[in-house]
Amino acid sequence: MSEKKEYKVIGTRPIRHDGVDKVTGRALYGADFQIAGLLHGRVLRSPHAHARIVSIDTSRAEAYPGVKGIVTAQDLPDPADKVADLGEGAVNLKYLCDNILARDKVLYKGHAVAAVAATSPHIAEEACTLIDVAYEVLPPVLEVRQAMEPDAPLLHENLKTTSLGETADEPSNVASHLQYKKGAPEKGFAEADVVIEREFVTGTVHQGYIEPHNATALYNPDGHLTIWCSTQGAFTVREQVAEILQYPISKIKVVPMEIGGGFGGKISVYIKPVAALLAMKTGKPVKVLMNRTDVFEGTGPTPASYIRVKMGATKAGKVTAAEAYLAFEAGAYPGSPVGPGAMCIFAPYNIENVLIDGYDVVVNKPKTAPYRAPGATNAAFGSETILDELAERLEIDPLEIRLMNGAKEGDRRADGPIYPRIGYIETVEAAKQHPHYAAPNGKKHHGRGVASGFWFNIGLESSVTINVNVDGTINLVEGSTDIGGTRASIAMQAAEVLGIPAESVNPSVVDTNSVGYTAVTGGSRTTYATGYAAYEAAQDVKRQMIARAAKLWEVDEANVQFADGEFSCINGKEEQISFRDLCARLGETGGPVVGSGTVNPGGAGGAFATHVVDVEVDEETGKVEILRYTATQDAGKAIHPSYVEGQIQGGVVQGIGWALNEEYIYDAEGTMTNASFLDYRMPTCLDLPMIDTVIVEVPNPGHPYGVRGVGEVPIIPPPAAIANAIYDAVGIRMTELPMSPERLLKAIGTI
Amino acid sequence: MAKHPVSLTVNGDEHDLLIEPRKTLLAVLRDTIGLTGTKEGCSTGDCGACTVIVEGKAVTSCMVLGVTAAGKEITTIEGLASDGALHPVQRAFIETGGYQCGFCTPGFIIAAKALLDENPARTEEEFRHALGGNICRCTGYTKILEAVMQAAEEIRTTA
Amino acid sequence: MEKFSYVNATSLEQVTSLLSDSGWGEVMVIAGGTDLLGELKEYIETPKTLINLKTLPGMDSISADGSGLKIGALATVADIAMYPEIQNHYTVLAQAAGSVATPQIRNVGTLGGNLCQRPRCWYYRDETVDCLKKGGELCYAIEGLSKYHAILGGDPVYIVHPSDIAPALIALGASLKIVGPEGEKTMSVEEFFTLPATNPYRENVLEPNEIVVEVQVPHPKSNAKSFYLKAREKGAPDFALASVAGVFEMEGNTCQAASIVLGGVAPAPWRSTEAEAALTGKMITESVSMQAGEDAVKDAQPLNDNAYKVTLTRNLISRAAMMAAK
Repeated sequence: MSEKKEYKVIGTRPIRHDGVDKVTGRALYGADFQIAGLLHGRVLRSPHAHARIVSIDTSRAEAYPGVKGIVTAQDLPDPADKVADLGEGAVNLKYLCDNILARDKVLYKGHAVAAVAATSPHIAEEACTLIDVAYEVLPPVLEVRQAMEPDAPLLHENLKTTSLGETADEPSNVASHLQYKKGAPEKGFAEADVVIEREFVTGTVHQGYIEPHNATALYNPDGHLTIWCSTQGAFTVREQVAEILQYPISKIKVVPMEIGGGFGGKISVYIKPVAALLAMKTGKPVKVLMNRTDVFEGTGPTPASYIRVKMGATKAGKVTAAEAYLAFEAGAYPGSPVGPGAMCIFAPYNIENVLIDGYDVVVNKPKTAPYRAPGATNAAFGSETILDELAERLEIDPLEIRLMNGAKEGDRRADGPIYPRIGYIETVEAAKQHPHYAAPNGKKHHGRGVASGFWFNIGLESSVTINVNVDGTINLVEGSTDIGGTRASIAMQAAEVLGIPAESVNPSVVDTNSVGYTAVTGGSRTTYATGYAAYEAAQDVKRQMIARAAKLWEVDEANVQFADGEFSCINGKEEQISFRDLCARLGETGGPVVGSGTVNPGGAGGAFATHVVDVEVDEETGKVEILRYTATQDAGKAIHPSYVEGQIQGGVVQGIGWALNEEYIYDAEGTMTNASFLDYRMPTCLDLPMIDTVIVEVPNPGHPYGVRGVGEVPIIPPPAAIANAIYDAVGIRMTELPMSPERLLKAIGTI
Repeated sequence: MAKHPVSLTVNGDEHDLLIEPRKTLLAVLRDTIGLTGTKEGCSTGDCGACTVIVEGKAVTSCMVLGVTAAGKEITTIEGLASDGALHPVQRAFIETGGYQCGFCTPGFIIAAKALLDENPARTEEEFRHALGGNICRCTGYTKILEAVMQAAEEIRTTA
Repeated sequence: MEKFSYVNATSLEQVTSLLSDSGWGEVMVIAGGTDLLGELKEYIETPKTLINLKTLPGMDSISADGSGLKIGALATVADIAMYPEIQNHYTVLAQAAGSVATPQIRNVGTLGGNLCQRPRCWYYRDETVDCLKKGGELCYAIEGLSKYHAILGGDPVYIVHPSDIAPALIALGASLKIVGPEGEKTMSVEEFFTLPATNPYRENVLEPNEIVVEVQVPHPKSNAKSFYLKAREKGAPDFALASVAGVFEMEGNTCQAASIVLGGVAPAPWRSTEAEAALTGKMITESVSMQAGEDAVKDAQPLNDNAYKVTLTRNLISRAAMMAAK
């Protein structure tokens, strides 16, 4: 795949197929869905971060005019009854169910306790205040290091630490401990001339999608349940709802509406099973909407973390050893992304001796959810800052030290895998050659920083069917919700195969009854895997069309060739027909052509990024201004370069927000005090320069066009790059996120 | 708590409505009139997804009561395209890739339209200030600003 | 949001008579509503009746002559920020108004509403917290999270006054006109605001049956330079971590008179007589400006999390003074 290929469609910038719908307000999102007889649901949430539910009395609310139904955890199947069937899995089912509606304990403020369906949203809201819940309030534990203390209040009486395959005897908030080891770290540190170790703390941050969660459910007397909702994966919703409600998957249809952002936060279900329960109970369609406070308090953010990183290098700049200790907050139930964090932390580098310990720890905060390269941003903040410090101490250019230690094909990551062809070095080279890196950087209080990042990307299952139209266009049916232009990037791959323009493809994202299984839009997989399925479906169409041409010309299929949109006969007859013209003759040659492609590819191909940022630090106000930002990234092959740029720019800006402003601020009782877009400060266009991007293309051998996922890796480098730039500007190492004016002023005041 | 008779002109069409006083203009537009192109992101006036034009000015419709908009002329995203042709801002957003998920897009387009109606000759910095009340979480704003500046250029040169 | 009945205002007499029947909170007025709606949605306020002031004729006008400005209470924040005479001669006011919230909110929010808006304190805005401001026992900022709270004048309630426009008006020596059942009265904007030691429940002297109808601003002297400096976490829109409204009468580099009012650091706009004294009659140098900053915060009493505001306020004052000298 190393040679440059010529493409007709791939690499161009056609207008996306849902373009007009989305600029005219016609695109229908979950909250826009209407159906006759609709009831409105509202969820009652816990005011306490940690409490035992003594009793729930819904009688006053039930008597309230307009209320049609109320559900609590009592309406969910009790996972305790499933131990016989599920064994260990029953524990996970219990966690899953308890997060939907708390059964015996509430574990975070905002934890759902009950839900009401009523004839108007106002009535549902009022009825919630009439539900009497008696709580026995317990002390909360809100920070990962406190939660790990032996005398910390326990969230789960039966949770015991699983450490490297062994389960402890005593209960703990530490759900698990993992470790990756490579070489002999002690020996490596002994060989180092300089060793640097620091602690880092990062806050809880939210994906911040602008569209709140929503779900409308309809239950028919024949047992069929339909859910219209905003989700990153309709099939994943179907699976989760089936499991939580212990309901047959064949009777659930999930219709994905347009989705207003997800970034990992719309994979787990929250109100979808609740809407389903209310629909079952009332026999009416029920729509449940979250408001912004619900989103902050009741859905998964990405974890706060405590990190220690130690790295050593020789005078020549060779990193000889690296160690990391990662303690991640899982939120109320086990399952933080400490695993991926641990796998990614030193991944851009080939280091001989590595030791990484990761801890998954429960605290009284919402159960965390993925957020764009989950775990990797926290981890890289530590490692990329330390590497910068090593470079500085050794008087080596920070990009140079990255080149010297950068991972290449054949190198082994600490957690095991050996890299296929990867493009890390190329991203560093691109950054080094960019005019930004050569631009002067000497003004007072101005500074420049760099950092790199790695993300795996994933493959997983995708299905596509293609229906060929008589006019030479195709209708492409897919199951990947389109969050950022994937209708186009998937359609373009089919178009390339069939030699037709992107505009001749009509892509549709359909419900779970109408396409084969397709995993989530997440893990940077959609253009890669669903695009791959579209490629396969188009190949299927091509094969069938070749057969039709052969039939038409009465020749053997082997004698028909397809190139540049034309079928032609080789070895004999002088026949030629365009794709379009052959489409018009499908009826006479055997009927319609429908192609299908399904994949579960293993070769997702990792993505690397290297960023350069210039900042100005106002020492008098503590404000950091981003003056210039350049992001280089290996996209493998950019199917639609504009949308690749957009992914990079968006990821960078989320990383900037994480670096400078964003965090959940909790009080001692576990209330998030800043659960609004006013107080949870996400960047606006006044906080940023134009984000410059450089797409590097080192084709992924695991994809027919060389595609690598692009969505996630750009969020990883910004916090470290900015911290390194702040150091360059004012000589202060910031080790806590966000690097807010308050923290900057404190740090400046203490030197 | 009687409902109030309220007449609104939305996208040129007159609507005579009976509105509960506590309904926001956003709820009136979405639920009562059925114009769901205007989005609700935060309900606190902080994200700008619900931006509509009232009497020539961009406002966040989640922070206005429907009853206080009585007699006003309102433009929503559904009212921008005319005679089947997209407004230059709409077209520019498509052409530059000025949106990804599309949820904040109606608010941005409306805010930009109000701005360009007032004066299309602005610097990038002025556009940034004028769009500071809209949050986009997908794009990082680069392509949004490119779209608005492209539309401004087109409006200036064809005016 | 609770249900309420709704009345369009027809005259000031009608408004004050409707208000007279009740104490705080039963009958309330709404203009732009950009602050009130937030409180209604969060059940911080649950009025039975809302009176829409926007239907009062003529109260949104702005006029200017050689003696000064008259701004109706219903003038929008955007109108104030964009008014050419204000931009040219009352820079601090134009800058302050231009720094308020978002363009969309400025298009709706009014002068009267900006002056009378309630605190942004996260305990006050949480309906489940019965804090001192809302009639409870405790100001939770004292023991709790106080990153955005007061460093001056806090006792016993440590909210900060959120208005940007108020410090600018006070620095310019503005006065305001209030109408109540007894007729109208005029007072300085400075006197209008009160500290919690006087009244922990309200931020100004307005009675439940009174409304602000107009602000008058005297024309600054010809040698006056004025600025509004606002430190915030985001580029905008954001409330002030600390802000400085400064009006400096300058003769060359010598400050003949200074009027310095702080926002975002105290429960009311906070005139810093210390900073004014440190600058008045002085040639402004770096050390003089720094001294002014130091003097302004010498009595600051930060809480657990907001000591950084002391540094910030000090630095902003000296920055404003240095700008005056340029």
